[in-house]
Amino acid sequence: MSTGSSQDKEEGGANFAQAAIGTYEEGLKFVGVKSEVHVADFDITQFMAQFYAGSIADANPGYWDEDYAREQWGGLIASSGLLSTVSKTMPWRPDGATVRKSIVFLVPLPGDSTINSSSETEFFRPLKVGDRLSSYDEIAAISPEKTTRLGTGHFVNVVTTYHNQNGDVIAKNTNSVFRFKMADKD
Amino acid sequence: MAQAQNKTWDDAAEGPRIPRIELDFTYSRVVWGAIASMDLFPGHHEKEYAERQGQETIYVNTMVYQGWIDRVVTDWAGPASFVIKRKMTMRRAVYAGSIMYGEGVVTRRYRDEQGRTVVDIDIDVGDADGSCCPAKVTALLDVAPRSL
Repeated sequence: MSTGSSQDKEEGGANFAQAAIGTYEEGLKFVGVKSEVHVADFDITQFMAQFYAGSIADANPGYWDEDYAREQWGGLIASSGLLSTVSKTMPWRPDGATVRKSIVFLVPLPGDSTINSSSETEFFRPLKVGDRLSSYDEIAAISPEKTTRLGTGHFVNVVTTYHNQNGDVIAKNTNSVFRFKMADKD
Repeated sequence: MAQAQNKTWDDAAEGPRIPRIELDFTYSRVVWGAIASMDLFPGHHEKEYAERQGQETIYVNTMVYQGWIDRVVTDWAGPASFVIKRKMTMRRAVYAGSIMYGEGVVTRRYRDEQGRTVVDIDIDVGDADGSCCPAKVTALLDVAPRSL
């Protein structure tokens, strides 16, 4: 079962607050739904790899030293921490951004706010400068209602599979996202 | 650039603590990490939004934890190591203005079916108030050149 709904085109930039609203029972019908395959808008670049590595003061020569990286990995690599970043769409384009809402926003549930609670990722090869990734999401599970410090909602497990331009599987990621209602502050 | 020594089977006994890394996550650095990972979610740059979520202020984003956890491994094991599995749990946020640390301990050393050296590592990431984001990592040590 699959849906193209994660490929919806919308005007304007990304809006993080617009989640589909519905009941838990409606949400459960989305378990097993896959998005279409999404091709990233851009290649992984040396700038992205090094700007990100700088943000965490990471001197790994795989990101910085072309000679070393060529010898060890076949070219400069990027931290695997950039996996989901290098699969994103541009937040704005002159022809109207393709807003790739996370599939978690498309699942009808009572909560309109989200926060990542955990993730588990398997990596099969490093991200390489020059790669362009493709990926698709699948809703793997939705928990019954739970209450945490932040509010009441549901944990949604999303599995994303990533390929490079050669069709090699780079990684598989399972994200657990809490979809909840923000507590009112008076 | 000087190349760090790569840990091998003999260097990776179970038990000894992996050296701690620390970094000052100023407001600028929190926003830097969010932008470097193209994360425009307002909780990482808009204090009022973060407060409405019940947080103290803006906080470090997920992709930065992921790179930070891998840095704990590769700073210790050297640049020929490679994380093949990472499971992390965000218990609470690391807020702008915090010193964030990362440290770990090797819990298991073994060889996979290809004869490669593999270690399981428990990693802890936190701030002055303690653990925020514990993680379990599996890494290959001393990966043969161009084998991945």
